Amino acid sequence: MKKVTGLVSISMMLVLSLFLAACGNGGSEDEGSGDSNKVTAWAWNINVPVLEKAAEKFKEENPDFELEVVEMGTDDVYSKLTTGLQAGGKGLPDIVLVEDDRVQGYMSAFPDAFVNVSDKGFDEMKDSFPSYKTELVSKDGAMYGFPFDGGPTGVFYRTDIFEEAGVNAEDIKTWDDYIEAGKTIKEKTDKAMIGLDLNGDDGLYRMMLNQQGTFYFDDEKNVALTSEESKKAMKVQQTLNEEGLVKETVGWDAWISAMTSGDVATAPSGAWLYGSITQQGKDTSGNWGLIELPAFEEGGNRASNLGGSNYMIPSASNNADLAYDFMEFFSTNKDVQLSAMEGGLFPSLNTIYDNEAFTKEVEFFSNQPIWSLLADEMDSIPAVNYTGDYAVAKDEAVKAQSEIANGKGIEEALKASEDRLKNRIQ
Amino acid sequence: MAKNLEVIEQSTNKLTLAERQQKKPKKKKNKLKAVWMYTLLSIFLVVSIFPFYWMFIGATNDSSKMFTNPPTLLPGDQFMTNLTNLNESIGIFRVLFNSLFVSGLYVVIALAVCASAAYVLAKYNFKGKKFIFTAFLLSMMIPYQATLIPLFQMMSDFNLLNTYFAVIAPQLCFPFAIFLLRQNFLAFPTELMESARLDGASETRIFISIVIPSMRPALAAASIFLFMTQWNNFMWPLVVLNTNDMYTFPVALSSLMGLSYIDYGQVMMGVTLATVPIIAFFLTLQKQFISGMLGSALK
Repeated sequence: MKKVTGLVSISMMLVLSLFLAACGNGGSEDEGSGDSNKVTAWAWNINVPVLEKAAEKFKEENPDFELEVVEMGTDDVYSKLTTGLQAGGKGLPDIVLVEDDRVQGYMSAFPDAFVNVSDKGFDEMKDSFPSYKTELVSKDGAMYGFPFDGGPTGVFYRTDIFEEAGVNAEDIKTWDDYIEAGKTIKEKTDKAMIGLDLNGDDGLYRMMLNQQGTFYFDDEKNVALTSEESKKAMKVQQTLNEEGLVKETVGWDAWISAMTSGDVATAPSGAWLYGSITQQGKDTSGNWGLIELPAFEEGGNRASNLGGSNYMIPSASNNADLAYDFMEFFSTNKDVQLSAMEGGLFPSLNTIYDNEAFTKEVEFFSNQPIWSLLADEMDSIPAVNYTGDYAVAKDEAVKAQSEIANGKGIEEALKASEDRLKNRIQ
Repeated sequence: MAKNLEVIEQSTNKLTLAERQQKKPKKKKNKLKAVWMYTLLSIFLVVSIFPFYWMFIGATNDSSKMFTNPPTLLPGDQFMTNLTNLNESIGIFRVLFNSLFVSGLYVVIALAVCASAAYVLAKYNFKGKKFIFTAFLLSMMIPYQATLIPLFQMMSDFNLLNTYFAVIAPQLCFPFAIFLLRQNFLAFPTELMESARLDGASETRIFISIVIPSMRPALAAASIFLFMTQWNNFMWPLVVLNTNDMYTFPVALSSLMGLSYIDYGQVMMGVTLATVPIIAFFLTLQKQFISGMLGSALK
């Protein structure tokens, strides 16, 4: 009998401790509601120090202010945000970071879920940001988010490989030049020109669409996979592939590794690639260069965007006014935005582009002033329509890309994808 | 007679000779078979051990070493650096405590709940028993995605978001564990229970002092299963936990996966640390677990 009572009392104690634990932590749940000086934010790794630095500065004027940053993975932010929004705005933070390609999806799926920041006076700051960024967070003429970082693109290249092949990167002006350079490099060094994940991601295709001022959808939200621009972009990829200039890199890690280990000569990408290659290819310092994206015809547009993110305030926030004040400070304070650069983020606030941080020479890139090159692009980046159906459209574009790589005709593959896409988003 | 005997002897000799001749190549064949077998087994061994080895390599090297060509295959000297970095980003001890606390408590309570339910379903007769058991089994077919949002809403309404309770509670009654335990309880001789009853033992006493002790292997198997489930649980803790100091291991590790930069040294170190408790838990219960498998095989 003793044994029985012993077991029972142990289990009673466990149950009790469970409830105590539940109560003990219950207090920290209602952040924002009980504590009117506290703002919570959800963001992923490299953004956390920027937010913390901003909070420190904001505290100088508002000593009571408190910021709690909850650090999570990029995809985890969306899992939690979507769950919270689906549940009618439960358990959401006061500030959340959302990538460029997701913003319009959230705005159309949850129309009243985010605070209209134009109403709160953010329109005054509109000119401080490139138009493609402000348009991205706008719906019916009002802004629902704060533009943060951008992804102006360029071709990152390995100077050592280019030298070995005797190719001058600065001479590459068009995609045709790019292909020719690739052939020479292939011939002289036997290295691939570019790493592509033909069955998994379509980053290059998206950059080339954006560069030509269009996207999966046109300005009227019509599917535009068979547009002239889209065909031209696919044509470039097809030629690269047929000439044997492509190294298949499946997934992000393989792609980065192909570049840092010198298996491929170039990587057209967004500015944020800087952070990855400087961290993961430490011993390749001084072997890198950057040129603008090649144009489709001589003198054509060479500016494009890939990636970037924005902060939004969920309407469910109990502390929306304070969150707005803090975010307005965050978005327009020069020091805060400059500190973002340390983590490899490219701020879209254009009032800081004349700062020394942008004009300086970068050692990793053989003393090339890469930041000013990228900053100069910002105003020329065309605004494009991501729409809420971005993810489905991307899926279809990757299918078309994969089919073309396997020998299907460009026109045929794009048409098939366009038809499927139309069916899927009806 | 003698001739006959001789013939017989010869024939037996011949037989044994023939046998011997047959046996020799057989032995060779067996040896060959064994060589093949061991080659195959070593290949499987390497395939299954290598990921763990690679994990260890990653944990002791700088992140950039994971991307070199040819790959780095020797342990590096960055063990402490990675450990310190990881501790700075996620707070190892807090996360380890959260995970151990949540998983440990979960196993204890879930085992009590599931064993009781399984016992009743196996050894008592009452109206609707079959229906209840079928309902349990059918509930295994509901994908968790379907219950995620309603459950989340419920926890939010009860004001239980960001608590250990919210992580543990929804899965306490685990259909698979109930099923597993019920099948084992079925094999328990009812006569033993009856004789205990005649001796005046209460039903609780029979369950706790007679049935449970003889069901250790099954309970060990179920607890390994429950522990693994909770230890690896990702989606639900991610959704209900709202501050970094409440994160469990999978959620904390996932927070290292940023957009353009991932420190694989930290990630691998974290994965290594997260694997150790599971191995320890399994080793502790291994004896029970294996005797349980043997026991059921003998039946």
